[in-house]
Amino acid sequence: MASSPRSPPPAPPVEFEISRQSRIFAALSKKVIDLDELRMLAAQGVPDAAGVRSTVWKLLLGYLPNDRSLWEQELAKKRSQYAAFKDEFLSNPVETARQVEKEGNNNDNAEHVDNGLLHRSEVAQEEHPLSLGKTSVWNHFFEYTEIMEQIDRDVKRTHPDMHFFCGDSSFAKSNQESLKNVLLIFAKLNAGIRYVQGMNEILAPLFFVFRSDPDDKNAKFAEADSFFCFIELLSGFRDNFCQKLDNSAVGIRGTLAKLSQLVAKYDAELQHHLEITTEVNPQFYAFRWITLLLTQEFNFADTIHIWDTLLSDPDGPQETLLRICCAMLILVRKRLLAGDFTSNLKLLQNYPPTNISHLLYVANKLH
Amino acid sequence: MVLVLALGDLHIPHRAPDLPAKFKSMLVPGKIQHIICTGNLCIKEVHDYLKSLCPDLHITRGEYDEDARYPETKTLTIGQFKLGLCHGHQVVPWGDLDSLAMLQRQLDVDILVTGHTHQFKAYKHEGGVVINPGSATGAYSSITYDVNPSFVLMDIDGLRVVVYVYELIDGEVKVDKIDFKKTAMTMHA
Repeated sequence: MASSPRSPPPAPPVEFEISRQSRIFAALSKKVIDLDELRMLAAQGVPDAAGVRSTVWKLLLGYLPNDRSLWEQELAKKRSQYAAFKDEFLSNPVETARQVEKEGNNNDNAEHVDNGLLHRSEVAQEEHPLSLGKTSVWNHFFEYTEIMEQIDRDVKRTHPDMHFFCGDSSFAKSNQESLKNVLLIFAKLNAGIRYVQGMNEILAPLFFVFRSDPDDKNAKFAEADSFFCFIELLSGFRDNFCQKLDNSAVGIRGTLAKLSQLVAKYDAELQHHLEITTEVNPQFYAFRWITLLLTQEFNFADTIHIWDTLLSDPDGPQETLLRICCAMLILVRKRLLAGDFTSNLKLLQNYPPTNISHLLYVANKLH
Repeated sequence: MVLVLALGDLHIPHRAPDLPAKFKSMLVPGKIQHIICTGNLCIKEVHDYLKSLCPDLHITRGEYDEDARYPETKTLTIGQFKLGLCHGHQVVPWGDLDSLAMLQRQLDVDILVTGHTHQFKAYKHEGGVVINPGSATGAYSSITYDVNPSFVLMDIDGLRVVVYVYELIDGEVKVDKIDFKKTAMTMHA
């Protein structure tokens, strides 16, 4: 469709905005929510003022069932499951050993000195720090030290300009702790993929939205809720993070090829100029767009807005994501067609600020 | 949770070719924060090997060490504990608790780690605790040929130390542990 409009549509009148809010409220207050209706409304953007984004995203990701009466029970189940995961995966071996001892009721005078010699007690199989045993708490702890350090480094670098994520406040610190916990538990539960740099960027908007839920009863479980939603979101994209699949049709290269095909379909002139003439391959710029779900290309508020649309795709975010990437290219086509390798690459790796509504409008037209 | 490896009296190459394989397979870099070595390595290769396990290495001089620059005694602080290190051939009678206790008071430390006898021991007296990690290779000593290879790993956590004793007995690694706390009585000014 080469005839997509170039000028942005006029800003919707205020009454339309308010009516959008009330339509979302209406959709959400049904006893059994119509997910198709919700998806359609969310795709246009969830109004910030409504304070319902947290609930909408949870519905779109399948975390909350569409039958409202089941919410309390579902949430309680999931949240307690997460608490169990925390107990199992986040304890440190020294604490675990202490717990075991306390339960085995030992007295404080555990020193049992006979003629000056200190009493020795046998160590249960494998429960010493140098143990290489598969079941050893210690071995497990050391295996994950490197991953924990990587996660720690990445979390500290997430959105350094936002008070929510960075800084000395106890709020920022507790948010960072939550992010680390979720990522570490995910890594331990998914030994095949563990932790890959970038997962922190995908988790961040989820956690932010859930933690900012105006309903405090929900906000305090943001960590547990974002854990499950993160898994759900990632499940469509896991293959992008798996190195072994890089060259397969489902891995990242395959996805980038699909993007090329999409651009060729809707703007053959642009695709030819980009890839053949200036040799700007999608993997030079779109790799980050795709694997990080556009979290690095726009400011945080715009990213959240884009995610409203991404999450509303019933077939998973990938198709919509590719359409948005394609739209991003089309919107700057004039500059790209006039540019060479260097200027085009520079432009695409630092995508200029854009009217997000317009971008999403163009993307939508690419169906 | 700070892990401190204490070992010594390896006597490589004169009395033993190397650490037992089962010990070597457990001693991997990245787990241990400090190594304290009572002495009698005796050669540089052993020093380099220990350094590869952990960069924070402390060694005192044993009478057969080829590097004459190691000190006779050393003290260091790890967490809430002051540790003292001395090979022990200087303290006569060898292995005598009272004499070692005197050295401990002189060094003013909570835990004194000393070797030379090639026999694992862990004593407690009012001045503190004395630990002898034995010989990590099972090398014969001036006193006996019957030596089981052994070393010690201390887990220092706040005011509490868990001492893991690793011994090679009949070809199998046996691990015991000893627990003690630093109480007001053993606090040093």
